[in-house]
Amino acid sequence: MGLDYKLVLWNKHKKKYDKIFALSIVLYLVLFIVLTLLLNPEGTAETLIIRAFGSLAILMLHIILIIGPLCRLNPQFLPILYNRRHLGVSMFLAALIHGTFAIIQFHTLGNTNPIVSVFTSNLDYGSLTNFPFQVLGFLALLILFFMASTSHDFFLKNLSPKIWKGLHMMVYVAYALITLHVFLGAFQQETSLPTIGIMLVGFILVSGLHLTAAFKETKNDNIKKKKEEDGWLKVCQVREIMENRAKIFTVNQERVAIFKYQGKLSAIHNVCKHQGGPLGEGKIVDGCVTCPWHGYQYLPQNGQSPPPFTEKVATYELRVQNGWVFIKPEAFPEGTEVEPAKI
Amino acid sequence: METAILTFLIILQIYFLAGLAFGVYFILFAKRIDPLMGNSKKVIRLLLFPGVVATWPFLIKRLFQNKNE
Ligand code: HEM
Ligand code: FES
Repeated sequence: MGLDYKLVLWNKHKKKYDKIFALSIVLYLVLFIVLTLLLNPEGTAETLIIRAFGSLAILMLHIILIIGPLCRLNPQFLPILYNRRHLGVSMFLAALIHGTFAIIQFHTLGNTNPIVSVFTSNLDYGSLTNFPFQVLGFLALLILFFMASTSHDFFLKNLSPKIWKGLHMMVYVAYALITLHVFLGAFQQETSLPTIGIMLVGFILVSGLHLTAAFKETKNDNIKKKKEEDGWLKVCQVREIMENRAKIFTVNQERVAIFKYQGKLSAIHNVCKHQGGPLGEGKIVDGCVTCPWHGYQYLPQNGQSPPPFTEKVATYELRVQNGWVFIKPEAFPEGTEVEPAKI
Repeated sequence: METAILTFLIILQIYFLAGLAFGVYFILFAKRIDPLMGNSKKVIRLLLFPGVVATWPFLIKRLFQNKNE
């Protein structure tokens, strides 16, 4: 939706949530440090920093991973999703501080290049209990760097959405590497209890929520839709859709959002042109369908972004009969004007 | 084992050094890669710099595509 690039896409809510996140981070670090000093006052400052930022990073990573499925299960969590980008970049910075201090602490004493030393100071790659776990952390950090550094819209466009998406799906590889990093590391020095707790609860939450969200979506997709003779598909009753909101259906393997507003119904393709956000989970604001992820807007009757913007999504034809909504499964070309169905 | 590791690290190093060189080019001529950069504030180039260093092969491809248009 841009004619130029902005440093950061801010809005009032994002600023509010960013402030809350920043405060929570400071609070976490202070708590971690105070508790460690109380329980184990012998540790060095470096170890404290390494552990505080390592566990902070892993905590943030878990939050990032559960936001997606949480929002699919309950739209009330959507505001956090807008901030996922900032959360991701902060997570990388926390992990970077952790990794940098670890390298300074353990790998800058000898003559070997510190990064080579991460890989070669312990060559016990065949061992389980003495595995060079820091290598896994390094590789994860590398992935996180690629993701954090390309989080701006410039890269979404210039790398192509497909490559960008692929790159960002690597977060699951990073998650696996970090999990191994922490558990294999735990054999070699006592890992703090909060970290183990975060990892275990986190894993259950992440996998549980992903499975539940996936299950819910397949169930929705499988709603029996009767194919009417004249090529119209019966999808739901008008009253099932809330005012200025949509319901999402799968039609011809495509996800379609049917919006209700001012006594009318309009259907557009559910996928936002920006980063593929679910338009049907957004609201109609000032007469425009507003993407829940970053606020791109589209007119419901033609799928076009209001001028001067140029994004367009496909539209569909609807019909209302005896309180039931019918849709023609064939999409019109992107941006085609369609007369909304009167309720 | 050690040679494999060292080779990997050297390749990584070459990749990022080339990225740094391309990053400097980007700071100066970002417009050639994406015309929208011409309308955008210059500080954005600094913000994008690390990502350019990381993903330079794709952006070079972009540069050639723009030239052929
Ligand atoms: C260059 C990359 C990295 C290096 C060299 C590294 C090194 C280390 C070391 C030496 C420890 C043990 C510290 C101790 O308990 O004394 C450790 C633990 C840990 N690391 Fe990393 N790490 C790296 C990357 C990462 C990344 C990317 C993450 C997560 C995003 C991470 C998360 C953790 C966690 C959660 C612990 C356990 C902390 C605890 O005991 O409470 N590390 N790492
Ligand atoms: S606004 Fe970013 S995905 Fe829709």
